[in-house]
Amino acid sequence: MRRFRLTPLRLAAAIVLGSLSFAGVGYAASLGLGTKKIFAWSQTLTKGSCNQTSTTADDTFVQQANPTSTTGSSATTLTITGGAMNQNIAFIRFNLSGCSLPTTAGADGSTLALFVTTSSMHTISLFPVTSSWSSSTLNWNGVSGLTIGSTATTTFTGSAGSHTVTVTSDVDAAIKAGTLWGWELKDAAGGPAATTAIASAENGTTANRPSLTLSYEK
Amino acid sequence: MKKLTRILGIATAITLFTVGVASAATLGLGSGKLAAGSAAVSGCTSSALTATRNVNNSNNVTQVNVLAVPQACAGETLALTLENSSHASLGSTSTTVGTCTGGCTVSLTGFGTVAAASLTAYAISLTQ
Repeated sequence: MRRFRLTPLRLAAAIVLGSLSFAGVGYAASLGLGTKKIFAWSQTLTKGSCNQTSTTADDTFVQQANPTSTTGSSATTLTITGGAMNQNIAFIRFNLSGCSLPTTAGADGSTLALFVTTSSMHTISLFPVTSSWSSSTLNWNGVSGLTIGSTATTTFTGSAGSHTVTVTSDVDAAIKAGTLWGWELKDAAGGPAATTAIASAENGTTANRPSLTLSYEK
Repeated sequence: MKKLTRILGIATAITLFTVGVASAATLGLGSGKLAAGSAAVSGCTSSALTATRNVNNSNNVTQVNVLAVPQACAGETLALTLENSSHASLGSTSTTVGTCTGGCTVSLTGFGTVAAASLTAYAISLTQ
């Protein structure tokens, strides 16, 4: 076995080799940093409002007792009646096409204003409608063909006077879907039937007609 | 002894020179990559993507969706900051882009309670 001797030359070689390996590690580290690339961007939103009045509203009510009748073009009130038989169900929607919102836009806030002309004090539930309908053709028999959410968006007690309900999530979803098909208004109370009447878009008192506020981003 | 001192002196000079060059190279490469990083793009996309958000009936943002994220971005980290009109952060979150066919919609939550009306900008980044 030969004894290793540390000569000046070997010492110098060791120093040089050590330096080179140190530099190599440093270079590898810099390579590792270099592969972590980032792509960043920002998107600015434009805010606005596009409130709707009865001029862009479409509404009707359908009657279980008259399953093929339509009421949309003439009724000045929308009647909503619960109970097992002789139910009346109302529908309201607004045409948002004038707002020129892309499907990437959204609602920041939206409320629906309704005016109860005949009180029942029953709870009225609003269910979102997501398929097309027209007041000129919708009747009781046609309701089963509509796509209506199974969970009520909101409710209000049918006392006389004005009511404002928040419908932001439904309007936001409708903007993204391209069209707002509005709401089905139902009285789901059991027991004796009672009628709630709401001023329609054809009501003689303009201030009592349905309206919708909408603040949006796009 | 004189010879040893000379050899050690030369070795030290070589060492210092090599380390100096290596450090300069490292710095040079590093700064080059950093400079490139601010202008360069992640390998999966070269254009800004569109984000939308959902709201609830309390008018708060519930979810942000980044649309049409290329399939090539799968595995990358998508970070999102919701900003107000002063570009101050209202909340932030991140997620890993999953695998999907064609363009993915990447949905993000977990940024806290943010009023939709206060949200005026998204700052988004994709990191490999």
